[in-house]
Amino acid sequence: MNPVLPIVIPMLAALLLPMAQRAHAIAGRWFGIAATAVNVLIAIGLWTSVSNQGPLTESVGGFIAPLGIMLRADLFAVLFVFAVSAMALLLWPRGENDRVREETLMLLLISGGCGMALSADLFNLYVFYELVAVASYGLITSRASGASYAAALRFLILSAAGSALALLGIAMVYSATGTLNLVQLAQLAPESLHGPLGMTAFTLMLLGFGVKAELFPLNTWVPEVYTAASARVSAYLAGIVSKLALIVVLRLVMTAYAHTDATSLLLVVGMITALSGELAALRATDLRRILSYSSIGQLGLAAMAFSIPGSLGVMAGTAVMLHHLVVKPALFLLAEQWQSSSDSSSMARLTGLASRSPWSAALFLLLALSLIGIPPLPGFWAKYLLISALLTEASVWQVLATGLVIVVTVVKTVYFMGIAQRLYQRDAEESSRLQWQSEVGLQQPFTPVAVLGGLVVLSVLLAAPLGDTLERLSTQTVEFSGVPAMRSASIVTSEGALP
Amino acid sequence: MNLEAQTAVLGYVIYGGAAGLIIIGLYAMVMKRHLIRVLLGLSLLEAGVNLSLVAAGFRPDAVAPIFSGNAVAGLTMVDPVPQALILTAIVIGVGVLALALAMTIKVQRAYDTLDTRQLAEYLAVEQMANTKSSIEPADTGEPAASGSTS
Repeated sequence: MNPVLPIVIPMLAALLLPMAQRAHAIAGRWFGIAATAVNVLIAIGLWTSVSNQGPLTESVGGFIAPLGIMLRADLFAVLFVFAVSAMALLLWPRGENDRVREETLMLLLISGGCGMALSADLFNLYVFYELVAVASYGLITSRASGASYAAALRFLILSAAGSALALLGIAMVYSATGTLNLVQLAQLAPESLHGPLGMTAFTLMLLGFGVKAELFPLNTWVPEVYTAASARVSAYLAGIVSKLALIVVLRLVMTAYAHTDATSLLLVVGMITALSGELAALRATDLRRILSYSSIGQLGLAAMAFSIPGSLGVMAGTAVMLHHLVVKPALFLLAEQWQSSSDSSSMARLTGLASRSPWSAALFLLLALSLIGIPPLPGFWAKYLLISALLTEASVWQVLATGLVIVVTVVKTVYFMGIAQRLYQRDAEESSRLQWQSEVGLQQPFTPVAVLGGLVVLSVLLAAPLGDTLERLSTQTVEFSGVPAMRSASIVTSEGALP
Repeated sequence: MNLEAQTAVLGYVIYGGAAGLIIIGLYAMVMKRHLIRVLLGLSLLEAGVNLSLVAAGFRPDAVAPIFSGNAVAGLTMVDPVPQALILTAIVIGVGVLALALAMTIKVQRAYDTLDTRQLAEYLAVEQMANTKSSIEPADTGEPAASGSTS
């Protein structure tokens, strides 16, 4: 199975979709979904072959690195190829305004997302990051409301400035090492990147990719965009796109910046992100805002986990990300369903909802409990892994970070239990005044929420095999830098001259 | 002037120019409130970044990296990789800028302003209004609702 397929298929489908639509309406209706389903199957195929034979590398177009661009499929990358495609299938745009346009953008987003997961070249990562960014600007505006345009534009400005800074960081890496291939960077880094120039480059890239990864301080767009965009888009952005940006940071920390001050910087940024996100969530009054801020908090936790060197950190971070990837989209969808049945996502309207809509309220409670980290729900295991990984290194910062995880958990408990209390308030007068449709949650769009909730329950039963898989995955991710040197490692030297 | 001094001067000029463009661009993006100015700043920032990227592969004594049949031995070329990279970066930059301008038109039509801070306030107010309008009927509507049920 060639790792280039999950990038090429959705991109091709995106370009062919308008034509397919014109040729045959029914074919156009199913074209994008079929391409995404094929992508899911390819991801499963890649997973089996990678877990049997180890990581696959592919030099695109037959050009070997450093002149060519290398794709590398390890379990971590394949996991995200699967997540990107499967989640897109689950959150497939419903076409509120222009179905073809939205589906085209979604396919481009999938293509870019798979590219970000698979790419082993820093510049290529940047290009796919931009592809994902542009596709997501388009999707945010799919509601065509003034607020969505304004939110998307403000996000675009922040994100474009971040991308430019990241590109500057990439330029610095290139001028210091003469290569952008991550495997070669890992080999060259100890001599050329572990200095002030390398750290400046890392800071710039962390700033740039941190915009999408919702990291402090460039995450002011998060609440604006997630409240202005449609729930499916917000769910996909919070669930998948933010994780993809964090993957880039992880790859950098695992290869070029292993065992440097970069990890402490990431830890501090993660801590500030987690704390500020959760405190903002505590103050917010709108359900979707609360969910946006709590998403910032979760990504901060994942960033903290990735700052821990070695496979333990990767394992903890992947667990946090996977858990958030399943739970947060479901919560966003629930919030939208309650909103659409009461014209508002504000907290006042949620009072007594449980008596009207017991299933969706119970599901919300389950997901919230998992996010807080109540055993035996998967959120508990993610936090358990994070804390035990943090405690392996008993430096002051790590201990501080452990304390912070607990504080953040308490804050999360406070606001989620506040919502739950509202939901289960038995106030007959108030609930009769709010004219709920009977069981708002159980309409057709309930399916993705039910699937995601089912996944949470399933992961409780499958905790042991999941843990084993995560362990294999994280050791493989750490071994990224241990790949044997490529035979063409010296074509372009740092002087940048070809003989 | 010998080659080394020339290289040093050129290096200062190019990197200094790139740094200047980046600083002006960032200044405009952070301090200016008018959307068009912010986007101009973005454009300057990108130009500066591209210049620094191409400077990374530049050598004053080298020729353009074009393989013509009769390549002269011993002649060095500038590094072609950054040039390929900035071509991509320029194209991406143009695309994003065009998209941003298109969105600016939409935003201007919706809110009749191009002031970013004002837009942020509008967004916040709109979301607050969303929350308010849902709280207010709940608060003020309570007596009416209880009156109708009793």
